[in-house]
Amino acid sequence: MKNKRSLFAVPYVVWMALFTVAPILMVVIYAFSSAEGGFTLDNFSSMGTYAVVFGRSFKLALIATLICLLIGYPVSYFMSKEGESFQRVAMVLIMLPMWINFLLRTYSWMAILENNGLLNQLFRSIGLIDLYNSIAVHFAANPAAYVPIDHFQMMNTQGAVVLGMVYNYLPFMILPIYSVIIKLDGSLVEAARDLGANSATVFKRVILPLSFPGILSGITMVFVPSVSTFAISKMLGGGTELLLGDLIEQQYLGGAYNPQLGAAISMVMMVIVVVCMAVMNRFGEGEEQAVML
Amino acid sequence: MKKHNSVFDRFFTALVFVFLYAPILVLIVFSFNKGDSSAVWQGFSLHWYEELFHNRLIMRSLYTTLLVSLLATVIATIAGTFAAIGFHNLRRRKRTVLTTVNNIPMMNADIVTGVAMCLFFVAFFAGWKDFAVWINGIQNMFHLPERLTLGFPTLLIAHVTFDIPYIILSVSPKLRQMDHNLIDAAQDLGCTWMQAFWKVILPEIKPGIVTGALTAFTMSVDDFIISYFTAGSSSSTLAMTIYGMTKKRVSPEINAISTLMFVTVLFLLVVINLREARNEQQEARSRTMPTLEEAAENVKHDRKPSPVPKIAGALAVVALVAVGGSFVARSAGQRVVNVCSWGEYIDTDLIDQFEEQTGITVNYQTAESNEALYSLLKSGAGDYDVIVPSDYMISQLIEEDMLAELNYDNIPNFAKISDRFKNLPYDPENKYTVPYSWGTVGIVYNKNMVKEPIDSWSTLFDSKYAGSVLMFRNSRDAIGVALNYLGYSLNTTDEGELREAYQLLADAKSKGIYQAFVMDEILQKMEGGNAAIGAYYAGDCLGMLENNEDLAFVVPKEGSNWFVDAMCVLKDAPHQEEAEAWINFIASTEANLANMDYIWYASPNQEALEMYPAYYEEKYGEPLDPELFAIMAPGQDVLDHCEVFLNLPLETRKLYNDLWTRLGI
Repeated sequence: MKNKRSLFAVPYVVWMALFTVAPILMVVIYAFSSAEGGFTLDNFSSMGTYAVVFGRSFKLALIATLICLLIGYPVSYFMSKEGESFQRVAMVLIMLPMWINFLLRTYSWMAILENNGLLNQLFRSIGLIDLYNSIAVHFAANPAAYVPIDHFQMMNTQGAVVLGMVYNYLPFMILPIYSVIIKLDGSLVEAARDLGANSATVFKRVILPLSFPGILSGITMVFVPSVSTFAISKMLGGGTELLLGDLIEQQYLGGAYNPQLGAAISMVMMVIVVVCMAVMNRFGEGEEQAVML
Repeated sequence: MKKHNSVFDRFFTALVFVFLYAPILVLIVFSFNKGDSSAVWQGFSLHWYEELFHNRLIMRSLYTTLLVSLLATVIATIAGTFAAIGFHNLRRRKRTVLTTVNNIPMMNADIVTGVAMCLFFVAFFAGWKDFAVWINGIQNMFHLPERLTLGFPTLLIAHVTFDIPYIILSVSPKLRQMDHNLIDAAQDLGCTWMQAFWKVILPEIKPGIVTGALTAFTMSVDDFIISYFTAGSSSSTLAMTIYGMTKKRVSPEINAISTLMFVTVLFLLVVINLREARNEQQEARSRTMPTLEEAAENVKHDRKPSPVPKIAGALAVVALVAVGGSFVARSAGQRVVNVCSWGEYIDTDLIDQFEEQTGITVNYQTAESNEALYSLLKSGAGDYDVIVPSDYMISQLIEEDMLAELNYDNIPNFAKISDRFKNLPYDPENKYTVPYSWGTVGIVYNKNMVKEPIDSWSTLFDSKYAGSVLMFRNSRDAIGVALNYLGYSLNTTDEGELREAYQLLADAKSKGIYQAFVMDEILQKMEGGNAAIGAYYAGDCLGMLENNEDLAFVVPKEGSNWFVDAMCVLKDAPHQEEAEAWINFIASTEANLANMDYIWYASPNQEALEMYPAYYEEKYGEPLDPELFAIMAPGQDVLDHCEVFLNLPLETRKLYNDLWTRLGI
């Protein structure tokens, strides 16, 4: 019986072979070929040059994923405790921002975070910037030489890039976690309580481990697109420091059309991501046993 | 477990919602802006909502978007759910492999997925052509079409492919969480597997399916780059149109349509949710996980299957009918021309006028840049008829034999083009092109933030303005600025000179002079007073000057780049005749006047250029500022001082790419 049900996977496996694997094979072929079409390893030889970009992308994506988890988990958990109608509306409200085009939302963030943007205007009007200046001048090594600021620098920083990632992908963290928590078996919690566990223990020993599948899905759905994003770093990060997505995009849309190098870089990126995911899945499969028990 | 949240918990949740909605609120507010800036508030108006409904491009692409997203979601949801069940029942090793493959479309950079699919489709079409020719050759019973192109079907396939992983990712955790004894129990009680599926599995995993479907639908609506490479030249999605319209600045029309979509979806979802809530209350069922007994009871009482599949089915049928209808309408022997231009680079009324005059349907798409256009053409994604590249790209396309020679007998309006824009270096014998617009590159600066008069590129490398200078985010223009400042030719192939220019930029960057590398974001940044100095194209700078009177524009004394964009027809274009009709229409004096007024770039049509100040005065009831007109259409003396970009040899282009990457590392 077990085998029969696994037959459901067959149509999609065929589909994947055609439309996922075959195009990816083309990427692989490209990565190993030169502009003239012959086999070459040249595209990989320069990869060391881009180590900094790889490092930066993975760092920012990791931070964004962590922040999403730290915000997303509590929100999912709190929501699951609210009334049913509130939950329905809340779920809708979490997905809804994605209905506004990604680029437009990012443009809006620019209007908010700019040096002369809405937040800085607000800070100015409530005197926060003056306050900061009057405090900072006391701590300055040389108060006479202190140059007062007229804005807080928020745009064009790595922080802004992380904010953009968190903003865009937070719903992907909340949704899977929430849908797992909401289905937790309440009797397990009761059992734990009956056995003398306090709230913290119940959370740590029962709820958290049981919501692991959702957390894993969430991490995948946030981390993976964060690593390969390019528009966010361009628009919020000022475009002066490349991320992997920018680097790849540049090979296709830059001055020198070089899809071979682009394919090579994205192949290396994919391999790293696959390894990360495999490690995590191993970890996750162990947890799955806990769910089954 | 149903303990109530503390005040802190609620406050935290509320904060997250504020975070999610703050930018959207800003966006909605600016859809009511009187002016066309998304940074400066100029008064309340509903003007953009009116404009919106007259914009056929937006309306057509909205239709395509909804259709493709809906169909893709329905197909992906059904396929993905079954696939997830299948995966779940596989052995772990196989499952891990398949899950990894499943994740590929999600983790691959969108552009790589897009290009890879495009290459795959194009390769398939080539294979199909050989096959069709062979089949048609050996029998006469039926005739297979030999030329397949990208279009709605490929777009749909691409969307389904990147939607399914989201469904699987949402459904899988639910399956893992499910108590498997439930299925066994149902079957023990006499259910067939299908019945068990409807009555036990489906209700259990429904939240996962709904979440997955919502995510997939949203991803489809939001996707840009994959659609860009798989949609072909005849269909465009809303996201593609939005990217075109944000080319210059976010047009409030786009804010308006987003607001409308947002409100519609909000309304729909609230209604659906309220109704479902009421239904469920009536059923008074508990939302907790059913125990074995409950499951058994559900089976016994033969509960109605969930309405979700029925609704989905009905939607699918409606959508399919709509698709069928549109294909029938399209194949009714209509004449079409497929045009690819830049975003916000045409007065869209002209498209309507042309369609009414000639009965030819215009499929109008936009590319982001010359390089993006080239990449579309190279990968086979763009089978356009007319394109409007810039000078240096034209010479590259001619060099690679990608353009068709024009029949100038069909383009009588070519005679009206000023002689100074004919036979330019990119097309010395003028066999391929009809100029569209032209202009210069210069410095735009804020007079409040820059106290001294500016007339030199040196300000872009001056530490005095650290943190408030905007530089081009493309290698050719940015390195070009440095070459201009150093006094070298913009078309130099000398590696030493280029490296010197690079060093100049790299030093300035490490000194923190550049606030950002920008393209069209510069409009928002300069208009909003966020930066003091930037380098950009004259036409767009005029747009900025219009929205912020503190700004000024100058072509530096060292000289600069001047450019021409020209219309050309691709080799083997399927609609050459229609393409020439379009080019002739756009080259007319009336069209040039309308365009000049709309895009702020100068026209190459001599008559239109001379008539424009009078046209402006008549239209707006006030004389055109001669200074602005001089920025828009500078005299020959300015042009003589500037240089046109020429196509560079491949070696030099690679060097540009390398240097540019190094600048960003």
